Amino acid sequence: MSSHTLSNPVRVALQVLAYSAFALTIAYFSTSPPYRLRADGEALIKLSFSHSAQLSQACRQRSEAELAQLAPNMRTKMDCPRGRADVLVELDMDDKPLYRISTPPTGLRKDGAATVYRRLAIPAGPHRFRVRLADGPDRVFSFSKELDLTMAPGQVLIIDFLAGEGGFVFVRE
Amino acid sequence: MNRLSMPAILGALRKSDENLTGLFDYGFAPAENPLRHLGALAFLCMVVSVVSGIIAFALYDTSVSGAYDSGRRLQLDPLLLGRLLRGMHRYAADAFMLLSLLHIVRETARGHYAGIRWFSWLTGVPLMWLLWIAGITGFWLLWDARALFSLTATSEWLQVLPVFPDLLVRNFMTRHALTDRFFSLIVFMHIGVPLFLLAGVWIHVQRVSHVRIWPPRSLVIGTLVVFAVLSLAVPAESLGPADTGNAPAQLSLDWFYLFVHPLVDILSESGTWWLFLIATVLLGGLPFVAGKGLKPPSNQVRQEGRAAVVDLSNCNGCSRCAADCPFGAVVMVDRTDQLHHRQQAFVISDMCAACGICVGSCPSSTPFRRIEDIVSGIELPGRPVAVLRKQLKEALAGLSGPSRIMLFYCGHAADWQSLRDASTAVLSLECAAMLPPSFIEYALRLGAEGVLIAGCREGDCEFRLGDNWVQGRLTGAREPRLRAAAPRDRIAVVWAGSERKQVARALSELRQKLTASVVKPDSRTIDLFVEPMLELHDD
Repeated sequence: MSSHTLSNPVRVALQVLAYSAFALTIAYFSTSPPYRLRADGEALIKLSFSHSAQLSQACRQRSEAELAQLAPNMRTKMDCPRGRADVLVELDMDDKPLYRISTPPTGLRKDGAATVYRRLAIPAGPHRFRVRLADGPDRVFSFSKELDLTMAPGQVLIIDFLAGEGGFVFVRE
Repeated sequence: MNRLSMPAILGALRKSDENLTGLFDYGFAPAENPLRHLGALAFLCMVVSVVSGIIAFALYDTSVSGAYDSGRRLQLDPLLLGRLLRGMHRYAADAFMLLSLLHIVRETARGHYAGIRWFSWLTGVPLMWLLWIAGITGFWLLWDARALFSLTATSEWLQVLPVFPDLLVRNFMTRHALTDRFFSLIVFMHIGVPLFLLAGVWIHVQRVSHVRIWPPRSLVIGTLVVFAVLSLAVPAESLGPADTGNAPAQLSLDWFYLFVHPLVDILSESGTWWLFLIATVLLGGLPFVAGKGLKPPSNQVRQEGRAAVVDLSNCNGCSRCAADCPFGAVVMVDRTDQLHHRQQAFVISDMCAACGICVGSCPSSTPFRRIEDIVSGIELPGRPVAVLRKQLKEALAGLSGPSRIMLFYCGHAADWQSLRDASTAVLSLECAAMLPPSFIEYALRLGAEGVLIAGCREGDCEFRLGDNWVQGRLTGAREPRLRAAAPRDRIAVVWAGSERKQVARALSELRQKLTASVVKPDSRTIDLFVEPMLELHDD
């Protein structure tokens, strides 16, 4: 049987079939299957900040001998290394560790801000959050915040760190 | 082990493609079979997306507060025009991706990544990236829940690349962080990337001639009807507005473009980058490894690398070879010898597929010339016209049975040597269009009672245009024409691909016809052979 032996109605029917398959494929995959991002009863924490930590080494005065070895235009008395310390963050939920990260500064000379972004799915409901941050070479937590919050399913809690505003900021919109 | 080898897989792919295309031929005319116009259909989708996008842009508000409402306004338009506009834009974009993927699969199955096609293949790879970027940015402009999810997920994915010192995701983590400029930026991307895509498509088809940039009218109408019906019946709608304070647990995704997000969840951000990188390198590198174990399936030894050569003493600058070359490998240049013709053919050997179509179009490729060692104006070094004539003579000399038929066949479609018998002589060609029409008459003069030409399936010529040119030459629509006096009732053509049954049936039908009509070579036909060259210089 060749294509030319088919009657016109059959050919039209086959064309309708082909176009329908095309249309159905597009229509279906343009919205389906639905994608499940997380369980229905879960809320979301977004821990995110960009923070310039303390310098990893304190400034020191150069000796006369050291200065003599430098080019004349480079003879500044103070030697201040640009490198910054890692930023250590710990987030606890209901007195249990939820997330911990030590992140290095950005930049080729490690003198940029340290950035953190993390999405964490948690069960909805009341929770006690405690978050603390160490940004010095001594790794001592110099910023800390605790808060009791009730999270609704799907609700997003943003934990930001703004040194100029005193430390951690909890945002729910 | 051998069963899973790459050539075996490619061979199976090729066979599947041939079967599927054959199946579609039942519903569509071969020339209107959508599988043969996947690239052109993808281009049509691009045009629909661009035109509908330009109108949508005129109605779009590039602000935080207005972006979502722009989409909703169109969606709720009482005259349904907005729904139609959104649907056409969205579904054409989806179809663009689907058809482009099918185009890649089909061209892979047909081995069109290797040889002189490397350029088209390689320039097609970045188009997929551009298409994807153009598509995904369109979803962000709607600024609904899906847009926020996709933008956030994409930012997280991009963040693993060591080129972003700042956290991209912080630009839209809270509603206060987002500014109107963000939407201007996305609009800039959503318009700019398709411009690169358009330029890329232009480059993509630079090394083919007679480009079929538009599908046949029936397919254009059918496709537009599908988009219009879909737009009204299954409207493309926004989800709820983007809410940075709430993250839905489940989302409907457009899998044609947003597939990357689930992929990242499965493979991780860096894993997905590696997958994309490897897929891009593998696709892009395919032409360069094709000769090392990934040689496309073929039914005979190819002449690739042995480009056509011009013989100036036999070239009169008629330009038919340049007009017929499917890859633009033959160009006309100013004459370099002292003959009185203004131009001569010149072969760009890197672009020559050695298909022999130019040989079939050359007026000098006639076997009736009286000199012993005939040379055509343009020749395939591996298969000169003199050799072709000699092979034809030898093949016909071996016939002894009744109803003798000369079968010329395209070796890329299949190998029909097995059809040789006492009444059937066979001769393979690089392409059916390599056969100058005068050879048909020559075969009849040498004792064949009928001539059958077997080629790839109609519209599936390995060298793109061979079937068109053969039909044109035989019907007298294209030079060099089969002379009007040629006995057409003794000449048949079958576009069968590798379908042995179809070729065997065509042979049988021609033989029955010859037997029934008891037509024998007559003196009138033979006498007319002395003037086959007279009409060749008309244009």
